[in-house]
Amino acid sequence: MPLTLHAIRPCFEGAVPAVIATCALDGTPNVSYISEVHYVDQQHVALSFQFFSKTRQNVLENPRATVLVIHPDTGAQYKLAVRYLRTEDSGPLFECMKAKLAGIASHSGMTGVFRLRGSDVYRVESISEVYGTGIAPSATSAAGAAELRACMARLAAAADLEGLLDALLDGLAAHFGIEQAMVLLADTRGERLYTVASRGYPQSGVGAEIRPGEGVIGMAAQARTPIRISHATSEFGYGRAMREDARSHGMSAGLDVEIPFPGLPGSQSQIAVPIMAGGRLLGVLFAESAATSRFGYDDEDALMVLASHVGAVAALLEEREDSHEEAPPAPERARPEGTPLRIRRYAENDSIFAGEDYLIKGVAGAILWKLLRNFVDERRTEHTNRELRLDPSIRLPDLSENLEARLILLQRRLAERCPELAIEKTGRGRFRFSVRRPVHLAEIPR
Amino acid sequence: MTGRKAQAPPLDADHAAFIQGGVSVVVATRNAERVADVVRGCGCRVARDRRRVTVLIEPSRAGTLFDDIARNGMIAVVFSQPSSHRTIQLKGSDARIVKVTPADRAIAARHLQDWTEELCRIGYTREFAGAVRGIAPTLAAIAFTPTAAFQQTPGPGAGQRLPA
Repeated sequence: MPLTLHAIRPCFEGAVPAVIATCALDGTPNVSYISEVHYVDQQHVALSFQFFSKTRQNVLENPRATVLVIHPDTGAQYKLAVRYLRTEDSGPLFECMKAKLAGIASHSGMTGVFRLRGSDVYRVESISEVYGTGIAPSATSAAGAAELRACMARLAAAADLEGLLDALLDGLAAHFGIEQAMVLLADTRGERLYTVASRGYPQSGVGAEIRPGEGVIGMAAQARTPIRISHATSEFGYGRAMREDARSHGMSAGLDVEIPFPGLPGSQSQIAVPIMAGGRLLGVLFAESAATSRFGYDDEDALMVLASHVGAVAALLEEREDSHEEAPPAPERARPEGTPLRIRRYAENDSIFAGEDYLIKGVAGAILWKLLRNFVDERRTEHTNRELRLDPSIRLPDLSENLEARLILLQRRLAERCPELAIEKTGRGRFRFSVRRPVHLAEIPR
Repeated sequence: MTGRKAQAPPLDADHAAFIQGGVSVVVATRNAERVADVVRGCGCRVARDRRRVTVLIEPSRAGTLFDDIARNGMIAVVFSQPSSHRTIQLKGSDARIVKVTPADRAIAARHLQDWTEELCRIGYTREFAGAVRGIAPTLAAIAFTPTAAFQQTPGPGAGQRLPA
């Protein structure tokens, strides 16, 4: 069987430096190290263009070159006959390589030296194994079809978005050994990604936000491409992104409305893949590990398959949630007793505080306020998704906004921070808002 | 040292010591269609006057290298120290295959040892280093006169011609 690029993908993880031999028009050969050879598809690789080098000058005038890569597990060498095609200096390929290069730079003590100017795309014309190199690989547990199948079976059992995301994260832990993972959903205006589900962190971080373009997660959302790093790098650390975000958004009036991003201290390997639904970005699936080089190309494939399945199923569930089943009769409830809980809403950003504790803001904040008002003014506890979607006071950015996702966020935030209030699903497209303690509402104007 | 025609100055002593240490040696040549071929080497020897460099390779991995050299003598060799990234490239146009001496075999054995130590220093295993290097039961030697040397340590100075 002829060698395929696919079969030697581990060579393109950046673990062992590759070399490229080129030739100038005057016939002078040149040989140079390359920081990053990236697997593009079965026929193409992309090389990191960082410096205006002789290599680059040569391939621009004479596109045929030879690349020598090393398999990081077996030590086998492979020779690729390649032809330079083009350079990309923006877009998914570029962003993907930029993040990976930052990880490679960090690993090799070259942070600040390695900067990606472009992704040089080459067609691979032939591949050969260099004679007498390499040892038999030890058995590895790469993510395969069996794990994927088991994980998909869990997803198929989910009845709603919340169940779907839980099944996804549980499946990743059970079948792929991915202990730390989270799902962030995007608002339709594309301004924010907010955490709705997570596994493996001391704090769930539900409600924590990331802006597109920031860190591994934000870049996966912005470029709609998987972003993966194998070694911790400050350049793509969410720690930095979050700190800067907090600084630039220093809310006035001293309102502390940042929910700390969950995140693993000492995180080395990170992967973020976009969750798409019919060309629309639904969110991002993120996983991380304290081990270096934890996620390979096979994991990336598996997470992409799962994310696209989750995207398609989520879109179907979303449609279903807008229709609703008949309401079960509302139970007779005793009026809540006890000292009233003071709940304040700041008009400035729809942020809501219970006592002194920040609960939630934005659309989910507006929903909570609506539910509280309905309870106080009308003693109403039963609600439908549809009614909320059409409510002008909630100001959903647009009709395609994922209301269900906001409800999950709100439900989880309440469960964590304010158990006196609870959202309980009572059927498809409907829920009950339970208030277990008297509440006193106060609006704080701008 | 008389009767020598005008030529490039000899290799700097520091560079000569560097390329004979535990560095990665990668050799490139090119064919008549100006397509370059490349092979990882097994060590290097610098002549006493530092005007001639001999690189050692495993012939079964040489690809088109011998043909290329026989046809045009053009060669480029990059030497890089894995732990420091210090890298230099030498070029020449008079490369030819020379006889392997017993000293060359000792150099290749010593190089494998030093290079393995280097790789272990930055976290690779001895086994991995051995696998990349592969079995080298036979050796071939290619000698050339360096006519140009370039600094290629990653960074803004990469690609600069080194002073003699």
